[in-house]
Amino acid sequence: MSKPLFIKLLLLVIVFAVVPFALEGLGKGYYYQIATLAFVFMLLAASLHLVTGVAGLLHLGHASLYGVGAYVAALLGSKYGIGFTYGLPLAGIGAAFVAFLVALPTMRLMSIYFAVATLGIGQMLFLVFQNWVDVTNGPNGVMLFDGIDLFGYAINSELGIYYVVAVVAAVSILILNRLSHSYYGNALRSLREDDQCTAAMGINVTVMKIQAFVISAFFAGIAGALWAYTTGYISPNDFNFSQSILILTMVVVGGLGSLPGVLIGALLLILLPEVLRYFGDIRNIIVGLLMFGAILFLPKGLFGEVNALNFARRILGSAWSEDNSEKGIGWK
Amino acid sequence: MFDPYILQQLAIGVSLGMIYALMAIGFTLIFGVLNVVNFAHGEVYTIGAFAGLMAITAFAPPLLVVLFIALAAGAFAGFGLERLAFRPFRRFSDEASLKSRAMREATLMSSLAMSIIAREAMELIFGSQFQSIDLAYLINKPIEIGPITIVNGDLIILAITLIMLGGLQWLLKKSPIGMSIRAVSNNALGAKYCGINTDRTIIFTFIIGSGMGALAGILVGLYYGAIFPAMGFTPGIKAFVAMVMGGLSSIPGAVVSAMILGLAESISTSFMPSVWSDMVAYAFLLATLIFFPQGLFGARRERV
Amino acid sequence: MTTILELDSLTRVFGGLRAVDDVSTKVSEGELFGLIGPNGAGKTTLFNLISGFTPPSSGDVRFKGESITGLPVHKIAHRGMSRTFQNLRVFPNMTVFDNISVGALGMIGVSPFSALWGGRAKAREISERSWEMLEKVGLKEHADDLAANLSYGKRKYLEIARALAMKPDLLILDEPAAGMNDSETAELAQFITDLNKTGLTIMLVEHDMGLVMGICQRLVVLASGRKIADDVPAKVRQDPAVLEAYLGGDD
Repeated sequence: MSKPLFIKLLLLVIVFAVVPFALEGLGKGYYYQIATLAFVFMLLAASLHLVTGVAGLLHLGHASLYGVGAYVAALLGSKYGIGFTYGLPLAGIGAAFVAFLVALPTMRLMSIYFAVATLGIGQMLFLVFQNWVDVTNGPNGVMLFDGIDLFGYAINSELGIYYVVAVVAAVSILILNRLSHSYYGNALRSLREDDQCTAAMGINVTVMKIQAFVISAFFAGIAGALWAYTTGYISPNDFNFSQSILILTMVVVGGLGSLPGVLIGALLLILLPEVLRYFGDIRNIIVGLLMFGAILFLPKGLFGEVNALNFARRILGSAWSEDNSEKGIGWK
Repeated sequence: MFDPYILQQLAIGVSLGMIYALMAIGFTLIFGVLNVVNFAHGEVYTIGAFAGLMAITAFAPPLLVVLFIALAAGAFAGFGLERLAFRPFRRFSDEASLKSRAMREATLMSSLAMSIIAREAMELIFGSQFQSIDLAYLINKPIEIGPITIVNGDLIILAITLIMLGGLQWLLKKSPIGMSIRAVSNNALGAKYCGINTDRTIIFTFIIGSGMGALAGILVGLYYGAIFPAMGFTPGIKAFVAMVMGGLSSIPGAVVSAMILGLAESISTSFMPSVWSDMVAYAFLLATLIFFPQGLFGARRERV
Repeated sequence: MTTILELDSLTRVFGGLRAVDDVSTKVSEGELFGLIGPNGAGKTTLFNLISGFTPPSSGDVRFKGESITGLPVHKIAHRGMSRTFQNLRVFPNMTVFDNISVGALGMIGVSPFSALWGGRAKAREISERSWEMLEKVGLKEHADDLAANLSYGKRKYLEIARALAMKPDLLILDEPAAGMNDSETAELAQFITDLNKTGLTIMLVEHDMGLVMGICQRLVVLASGRKIADDVPAKVRQDPAVLEAYLGGDD
């Protein structure tokens, strides 16, 4: 048996046998919640990995696309009676559609301008979640009373919900893994490395970026639907800027460009604050400290293939002017 | 004649614009010297507000002293920020690495991390709610000028911003440290060869920019009576928008853009609910990025 | 012989500077053609005009009989023009094999769906072509190394292999011998000549006369953005205008 295959099987056994067994043993709703949270964020981090880690686009509004998926699923479920079976793919499609609209004008922006544009768009979507009260119910959020209903079979037990979430997340992550480790992934990587050079290879850079962005949004939307269905309640603050940063930190800490690293980063950032929660609500401080530490001491992340500093040099900087000589400051 | 209501909104818009301008100057100075975006600038603003608040609750000094304390706290925060989040990534001091892409990206993330740490620490210490402020310090006493009513804060903000802008102008044009800031932002390597200490210049840039940002923070806190740990985020983004609109490294551009933003925002509230007014800034941001990549005043050529 | 590339009074102005000024020439199919000039003569600008990186201020570029002026870079590449870069732009954080595969996959085409399902034939084509090019430049044993870890000379060959993986009709090499010593340059000259013998049209942009004089069949010399000579190397060598440009310039 080859080594990667063994690791994959081992992971499957852990996810589908060991963890559920342990959770049943612990027998408390709280642990199930954390397990679900971990899956949702692993999927979110994996989807951001495609855009930021592989294609090298710094994306500061990922949580808002995740929010679009969550709102689509929750609103379809609570207002129109469209259950999980169709709500899940529709949430993905909804987020992908919004991402496509967003991507059309912004994908031509280089590097840091793109990052700022995604930040602005994330904030705009957040304002919509919060203030378009007629549709989104504003700051009160949306309650979703329906449980997960899979092709007519209601799944009520915590274990059943765990399996649904685990299967959806695992399949999505496998697809993302396949995408980033194929020739298609190579094309995306080359964008990260040098997009001008990639264009000279006959690759349509803008189309590739839009594709990556939309695919990533689709899976963020799926994660949103999982979140909406497992918690039964969503509110705008679940999808604000600090959530975007949380997901980005998972990617940076795990290592830009390495999917296993990113998944471990996600686990770390979800589980560590839970372990440390007796010291107070310090999750976000931990996020900040881990991110700072990762940039300073582990520029490659835990398992990154791209040094974070290098990433900076290649990708983010390419937009800024090379020529600083004409520039001055002050009153002219 | 003008509708008095519109005039009143204009007065608020000018105050808002002045506040954004004070913050945008910090962004612009730092961008000029290092070509980096300081994501923690919004937290410096919050620190200014909290420092002023703590001074008020501790020994109730006169307003000017409160403002000065905020300024000093901001300057100190700027110094610490530079040492922690920017200095470690500046391994060489030649032009290429001072303004390198690696610096930009790494410091973008490190300042982001610093801003999270600072904001969350303040939330742990003070709680995330609005702080109570001694009412005597609030600068919202109404003043009637003919048909319109403004508050004394509008005048205070106007006066202080003008003083700060004038002071900055003098500093940049006449004082040795201002000259070296201009020199480094023009040509870092050249400045270094002329014997300018770039490291010290960078620190001073952070101190000056952060001091002004912190001043903006306490002014806003007293103007609206709202001081809370997350208060810096939105103004931070707006000041950033003003910098981008102004063409990244032009101080007049940033100030004018900040005024445009403030006015647009306050006028927008007269025909749409005020909760949506933030949308104006984001719309300006996207429109600028997409249609005016060189800023509204076309100051720079960039590959965008 | 048929003309593959035709430049028609190409001009590019930057501010007040005429970086390329009214340059016209023709490249025939199968030719090994050189473009030389002292520093700042506008070689790289001309090259960027041809490959679509910079739009010309005026004039026209025709490739295989059709105007390609103003086309986006990737479309020009798809028509069969492939280039390398002056300051070595391999993808440093990707393996050597992956670097070359990007050259192949741009032409063969990939989509996210083919990565998931039914893309096996394409994937095989990409990998076969990539191995073929690896072998051609002798980097087979480095296939799994990161490009950043290769020596300078090997990265040069990697960049050429990546360009060749596009199966171009015209290959433009921007200062391939820069930074190489004499024996490496000689080896490279042999490699380029061999490539040309397989029928590939090659355009060499060089700063140094040594390499081009030896192997090119025809040379265009630029000075201050203008074409000052367009002839076989033997004639160019004796052209007083060329000598003036090289000796009188800052070179």
